Amino acid sequence: MSMEENKIFVDSRGSSCPGPIVDLAKAYRNSKVGDTIEIWATDKGIKNDVTAWAQKTGNQVLSIEDQPDKVVVIIKILKR
Amino acid sequence: MEKKRVVIVGGGAGGIILANSLNQKDFDVTILDKSDTQVFQPAFLYAAFMGKEVPTKKIPKLIKKGIKFKLDPVKKVDLTNKKVFTEGGEYAYDYIVVATGTMSDASTVSGLKEIDDKYGDYHTSIENAQRVWKNLNSFKGGTIVLGQASPICKCPPSPIEGVLLTEMLINRRKLKDRTKLVFFTPYPRAYSAEPINNVVEPIMNERGIQIMTFFDLDHIDANTLYSLEGDQIKFDLPIIIPPFKGAKIDYEPKTVLDDDRFIKTDKFNMRIQGFDDAFAIGDATNIPTSKAGVGAHLEAKIVANILQGKEDKFDGRTNCPFDLGYGKGTFVIGSYDQPVVPYPPSRLNHFEKMMMEKIYWSSLKGTFDFIFNLYFRHTDPIKLNKKFSK
Repeated sequence: MSMEENKIFVDSRGSSCPGPIVDLAKAYRNSKVGDTIEIWATDKGIKNDVTAWAQKTGNQVLSIEDQPDKVVVIIKILKR
Repeated sequence: MEKKRVVIVGGGAGGIILANSLNQKDFDVTILDKSDTQVFQPAFLYAAFMGKEVPTKKIPKLIKKGIKFKLDPVKKVDLTNKKVFTEGGEYAYDYIVVATGTMSDASTVSGLKEIDDKYGDYHTSIENAQRVWKNLNSFKGGTIVLGQASPICKCPPSPIEGVLLTEMLINRRKLKDRTKLVFFTPYPRAYSAEPINNVVEPIMNERGIQIMTFFDLDHIDANTLYSLEGDQIKFDLPIIIPPFKGAKIDYEPKTVLDDDRFIKTDKFNMRIQGFDDAFAIGDATNIPTSKAGVGAHLEAKIVANILQGKEDKFDGRTNCPFDLGYGKGTFVIGSYDQPVVPYPPSRLNHFEKMMMEKIYWSSLKGTFDFIFNLYFRHTDPIKLNKKFSK
């Protein structure tokens, strides 16, 4: 991985089990401070999960956008 | 017309179901694997927590006549030039199906390799599962910690199944008042998919299991687990599920692999990204569904249909049996467009899980296809969600 700040894109559309939170946890593991993670999900549960996750891990939710066919969440990694 | 050469990499459930589903009039089928024995992996759970045997069978006995099996480890798959390189030579193909499953890699978490070598686990081998059984039987009291070391876990119900069966064993050995049982998970709740969590978390609470959420294991040192989030758990007996990655095989182009060596696969038609003649099925793929036998089974059938000229599309169906201990069970049933069903626990569900072990080997040959088709229709998540979701 390069030392530059990365944009990590995660397509979690269609995941009901194990669910988008698994893809987020996976992306978090492969990320570093300064990266942004953009996650697309069809499971609406992602909205609450990502907020609770960011609070616990000390990272920042930049936006949560409800689109007709998906939820788009953008997160900035501040802590690892 | 000349027969099409199909090379299947991996002789697990997916690879064998696919091979047995292809019509041999049109296809010349070769399976390559580094082992000639298939292990019924769901039985690791019962070896670790109940001391049972793990059934195994030789791959050549599981395939129909005419299918070739080569005990020959694959080193490289060249998708561009349609060739597979093995230790013994090379194989050219018209179609390739990668069914290499997933492998554990304890080395990615500092301190885990030592713990795994010493205490075993219940996901990787018969010997490791037997080690867990031995440790649990010599356990006299203290803190048992159980959980998955990374967000990717083969068989997502298995961490909770393990802790529930541990509780049952400890209870039967009358050690409950001297034991603290801690379950850790990287997710916001015990089970990642909320509807089934609502079924199982109350059971865990009732049985006195402490749940540590948002505990993404970072390292282990001096009988203590440390999480990325900054929490710690001290333990006397650890039962840790190692991280999982894709098989150690090189690909040309390299870009078909993701960061964890899983193969970038179309979640509907199972084609490897950018290739019409290459497919991946089962745990080897990166598709957004559970790593479990049912996926390998259904995806193998999809690829068999596509290769034989029938249109077909995977709907992301999961159907994972979930042992809750004391003879009860549930199932994790969902699909790409249906949330997981809050399926109520019952003795019948548990019985169905036990039956799977009995019919598994014949199911690889397609003997029970009509029963499976009936079952999958009967347990359609759309129907079940109408019945059980509030």
